[in-house]
Amino acid sequence: MTVIARRLAGHLARGFAMILVVTTISFVIIRSIPGDPMRARYEKLVEQGMSPDQAERATAALYGFMPKGTLWEQYADYMRGLLHLDLGQSLSVPGAEVTTLLASAATWTILPVLVGTLLSFAVGIIMGVYAAIKRSSKLGDVLAVSGSLLHGLPQYVLALLLSAVFTTLLPIFPTGGTADVTLEPGLNAAYIGSLIQYATMPVLTYALAGYGGWILAMKSSVVTVLGDDFIMAAELRGLKRGLIFRYVARNAILPLFTILALSLGLLFGGAIFIERIFTYPGLGLLLLNSITDRDYTLMGGAFLLITVAIVIANIVADMLYTAIDPRVRSGQEAS
Amino acid sequence: MFVPAEKVSMTLGERLSAAVGVRGDRSVEAARNTGAAEGTRDARRSGPPGVRIRDLSVVYRTAAGELPAVSGIDLDLPPGTITGVVGESGSGKSTLALSLLNAVQPPGRIRSGSVEIDGLGDVTRLRGENLRKARGRHIGYVFQAAQNSLNPLKTVGKQLLDLGRSHEIRDLRGLVRDAKDLLGRMGMDGARVLDSHQHELSGGMRQRVGIMFALVLNAHLVVLDEPTTALDMITQATILRIVREVHEERGLTTFIITHDLGVVAEIADRLAIMYGGRVVEQGPTTEVLGAPRHPYTQGLIRAIPRLVGDLGEARALPGRPPTLGTVPSRGCVFRERCDLRMDVCETEEPPAVPYGEWIVACHAVAARDAETREEKE
Ligand SMILES: Nc1ncnc2c1ncn2[C@@H]1O[C@H](COP(=O)(O)OP(=O)(O)OP(=O)(O)O)[C@@H](O)[C@H]1O
Ligand code: SF4
Ligand SMILES: [Mg+2]
Repeated sequence: MTVIARRLAGHLARGFAMILVVTTISFVIIRSIPGDPMRARYEKLVEQGMSPDQAERATAALYGFMPKGTLWEQYADYMRGLLHLDLGQSLSVPGAEVTTLLASAATWTILPVLVGTLLSFAVGIIMGVYAAIKRSSKLGDVLAVSGSLLHGLPQYVLALLLSAVFTTLLPIFPTGGTADVTLEPGLNAAYIGSLIQYATMPVLTYALAGYGGWILAMKSSVVTVLGDDFIMAAELRGLKRGLIFRYVARNAILPLFTILALSLGLLFGGAIFIERIFTYPGLGLLLLNSITDRDYTLMGGAFLLITVAIVIANIVADMLYTAIDPRVRSGQEAS
Repeated sequence: MFVPAEKVSMTLGERLSAAVGVRGDRSVEAARNTGAAEGTRDARRSGPPGVRIRDLSVVYRTAAGELPAVSGIDLDLPPGTITGVVGESGSGKSTLALSLLNAVQPPGRIRSGSVEIDGLGDVTRLRGENLRKARGRHIGYVFQAAQNSLNPLKTVGKQLLDLGRSHEIRDLRGLVRDAKDLLGRMGMDGARVLDSHQHELSGGMRQRVGIMFALVLNAHLVVLDEPTTALDMITQATILRIVREVHEERGLTTFIITHDLGVVAEIADRLAIMYGGRVVEQGPTTEVLGAPRHPYTQGLIRAIPRLVGDLGEARALPGRPPTLGTVPSRGCVFRERCDLRMDVCETEEPPAVPYGEWIVACHAVAARDAETREEKE
């Protein structure tokens, strides 16, 4: 247990440093992008004949606040706010807190990403085992080739393809939104059914996009383990096939758990294209809109959230590995 | 009638005499112990099994087609004996050993021949569950890479239980007790070892755990593929002593592979010398090592540096052993490196000729034998 605690502490320290760096960089970069909407509004008001003071007050009233002082002071303000989980006001949605916007968008990203990834992980792992066992037959070839093809296809191409086929050619699935707007949100079958229907396209894209990678990774992992001496030793000791299968599976899946957690983190970034194509109001779409609108507080918040997601994924991956692999567990104990 | 080998026998003298002295009359003792050591968990089997390998050929599929790694081997393992197999790397020792379990790995396959084991029949015909049950339960196997023969994610104890369950052992407690006993005899703390993962054990410990796994189900045919490679001299000696003790106590038939003549001298009753996938010479260990007839065996023995004496007297065998692709398909496989090579060696494979219990496959030996017999007449 102490090993895990020590590793966790290390991860938290590193994660904290990473978050600090990302926040700082995004703060500086975002503030130096020309075209601040608040400034634009302020200048417009001045042009329309307001005095600078009046214009500033009017702008501040609309957005709820107005950045003041040097970049340094703004940075200090921003970081102070962060400590209270206050990311400031959105500039494109007047009066809205960045945290509220992020929270509602995050739900629409986390759930589909999670479901899609776990689905592709489960299917990809099983198919990967088959591809490995049948690697010298036609079925194995077909599986491996399907994996390579899907793996090589960029996510957005896949999303465009699916969108073209299932929303345009055969309009089975809706595009845009999270559910039928005419339905009453709540725990009723119609609404939940509609939620699932609207989420199908993004989930399917995440699943298909990941599947190729999983099948290839699992296949190569299984082939490696099958060639390991201890598997042959187990066969020569007459172990039951089911047991040998479990030996293989557990050893082969181990390295994939790390990739799983990491890919969950990375998918938050990948959601940008997919949510754009399916107009699904998740984090990716929010980030994209914030960039178009030059909403730098929202942008910074979105970057921060993605960073946090990756840091957490890293930690989860490592903890999983530590929990499963006895070598890591005691290796750390010794050092 | 002997190939002149006085010099050779002398160089090995010191090592041999010690070994022979230790062994004494093993067969009698083994027979006596068989009944007493019969495992409580398996009273069905009685006595050590004999093994008869006939005309065994094993091929590996390569880019150049299927090439033989073992060619037409005839070899008997008499019940209750320890047979040692010696040969340079690539001579087909492991392939032969795996054939005893019908476990030649793809791209290899047994092309022809049979391996008859008492109580099991011809194992080359065993398939599926019958084959699985024979492995482990009837034939214990110590893997050449025994150091890596454990699942890295499970403790030794859990893997022991997996083994017991695979072979329908009902008394798992008894199994654990036996395992602890065996580990204890090999100088380890049994309870601790069973609680350990592979990475917590040293190379020598893993090797001994591998041996424990081969013996714990009370298999009566035990195959050890280089069980002492990569071990220091002391550990090696301990392991050989244990193998011999257990062999005698339980009344086993043991097949041990090594490329170290010293090891066979120490523990084997019978010896088979392999070269290029053939057994070129086989017979009782002391006699073969004392007066080897095949030029290859002679060369092997000459190549051993003596503990006492002039290092210069050890003469390495010139040339290299053949690989799958370079084994000649006709004539004698050893002729490239043989001083006694004759014309017939280029074209005809020397047949295995028995001289009593001693079998040699060499044209020169056969010719000399014929000569001496004529002289006598
Ligand atoms: N899987 C394989 N594919 C192709 N050739 C193989 C394979 N396994 C063994 N061989 C070849 O078969 C021959 C015999 O191999 P084997 O492992 O039986 O030799 P060995 O006497 O046990 O050697 P060593 O002392 O190195 O263990 C060698 O030439 C080897 O290259
Ligand atoms: S058969 Fe000929 S080549 Fe082969 S070992 Fe005998 S003498 Fe030498
Ligand atoms: Mg070998």
